Amino acid sequence: MTRRTTSPESQRPARRGARASQVGLESRTRAWLRHHRAMWLDSAQRLAKRPLSSLLTMLAIAIALVLPSGLWLALDSARLLDAELDESATVTVYLDTRLDERAAMEVAARLRDQTPVAGARLVTAAEGLAEFQEGVGLEDALASLEDNPLPAAVVVTPADTDPDSVRVLASNLEAVDGVDEARVDLAWLERLRRLAELGQRLALALAGLFGLGVLLVVGNTIRLAVESRRQEIEVVTLIGATHAFVRRPFLYSGAWYGLGGGVLAIVLLVLGGHWLSAPVTALAESYGAHFTLPRLGLGGSVLLCFCSTLLGWLGAWLAVGRHLADIKPR
Amino acid sequence: MIVFEHVGKRYGGRSEALADINFRVGRGEMLFLTGHSGAGKSSLLRLIMRLEKPSRGRVLVAGHDLDRFHLSQIPYYRRQIGVVFQDHQLLFDRSVFANVALPLEIQGVEPRESARRVRAALDKVGLLYRETALPIELSSGERQRIGIARAVVNKPSLLLADEPTGNLDPQLSADIMRLFEDFNRIGTTVMVASHDLALITRLRHRVLRLREGRLVGDEEAA
Ligand SMILES: Nc1ncnc2c1ncn2[C@@H]1O[C@H](COP(=O)(O)OP(=O)(O)O)[C@@H](O)[C@H]1O
Ligand SMILES: [Mg+2]
Repeated sequence: MTRRTTSPESQRPARRGARASQVGLESRTRAWLRHHRAMWLDSAQRLAKRPLSSLLTMLAIAIALVLPSGLWLALDSARLLDAELDESATVTVYLDTRLDERAAMEVAARLRDQTPVAGARLVTAAEGLAEFQEGVGLEDALASLEDNPLPAAVVVTPADTDPDSVRVLASNLEAVDGVDEARVDLAWLERLRRLAELGQRLALALAGLFGLGVLLVVGNTIRLAVESRRQEIEVVTLIGATHAFVRRPFLYSGAWYGLGGGVLAIVLLVLGGHWLSAPVTALAESYGAHFTLPRLGLGGSVLLCFCSTLLGWLGAWLAVGRHLADIKPR
Repeated sequence: MIVFEHVGKRYGGRSEALADINFRVGRGEMLFLTGHSGAGKSSLLRLIMRLEKPSRGRVLVAGHDLDRFHLSQIPYYRRQIGVVFQDHQLLFDRSVFANVALPLEIQGVEPRESARRVRAALDKVGLLYRETALPIELSSGERQRIGIARAVVNKPSLLLADEPTGNLDPQLSADIMRLFEDFNRIGTTVMVASHDLALITRLRHRVLRLREGRLVGDEEAA
């Protein structure tokens, strides 16, 4: 007979008489839930009994969580900014100065028909001058010029904003008759993208590193807790406690530490967000962008708490597993 | 109930703590295990509790070969054995009641049923009136009786005691032994390790004598 065909209960030493019938699946489940509830409360009470040291542990966890999640938030907002920048990725096509307005419109129409072009807007020489004057505030100086020195231009919006295809498009546009020059400034856009990519990797690396930090913080705290309850562990092991039973209160402690750390991290992120939001908004405005620091939101907060609780639980699990092996009743 | 077949136990590379031990204990028997300090009494009891594995031979308890147990089965096996220690091993951060309730808590017995059995066990050792006390407030004799209450609270079929009277004066020791006899009378197999020869001889039960890890005497009840 294979192992699988015998139920786990029948492999265990038989219990005697009345008790065997009593220990049905239902009552075992109820006992299991009862112990979970008891340990859930007991571990919380143990943390509450030593508020300062519990708080310090949670704070250490929170600090480890704030950095990667803060960076993650910042990158998320950079992605929003990136979308805005994509729309502004245009190719400015300067037309031959000798073309008159009619000819310019024809060229603009021809440009519009090029395949990867989403839109083309003609800026006539006169409009260009007016925009220039408005922007620079040199009305008087420019008004004194007899001829308009500016060429007509067509602002082309590419259908595909990928830097390489924009560059290809620009050289194609330059080949069109009546076009003097197609100018595209992508260097800064690319730089920004690279920076965002770097930031992403950095955030991932930090998340991994600081996640490990959380495991270590919780693991160390739980190790001390296991050590301080050594006698209790020995005694309950002697009188028939399973590993799961022994481990349970520590797992709950770890989860509590993680949850507390997560909540503190959210508090820190909100405070930090408030503190930074005014200068960031002002900075963005000075670049003509409207940009506010993103909030963590309900979803993000729940996710953060979930992850930190899980980390705390895992840290406790690792620590207890390691130290239970050392504890053998005398 | 208990069968030892050519059991030897060696710790690390040292000489044998137990060598070629053979004996049988019937269900419902009461017996003493005696010998000088270091003779191997505790080692023998630890083999029965499955805290150690024999280096040689087999130990069977209630028909189970202890060597065959999977690690995850051991806790369930231990729940069938009540153990009393010389240093009682009570937890000082909880009341007498909670200490005695511990085995039942581990087994997941319902609180109401658990309370009933705890009170019955405390009553049996004559300390029901101390249920709310902390172990620190008790005398050493009382602590030992609480340790016994904890050992018997789930009505084990086998009761082991390792020097249960080690720290007690003769009068208290005799009281403790009388308690063990009471449990034996209701069908529990009882095995007590002790070097208190005066007490043992007076009680007239079977005696296993150990010397330097060997079984040198097995005297039936007089
Ligand atoms: N865990 C252990 N590791 C190494 N040696 C041990 C251990 N436990 C007991 N011994 C040795 O085994 C022998 C028997 O000890 P023990 O069983 O405690 O005897 P008793 O209980 O009769 O005093 C002694 O020599 C002791 O030093
Ligand atoms: Mg001993």
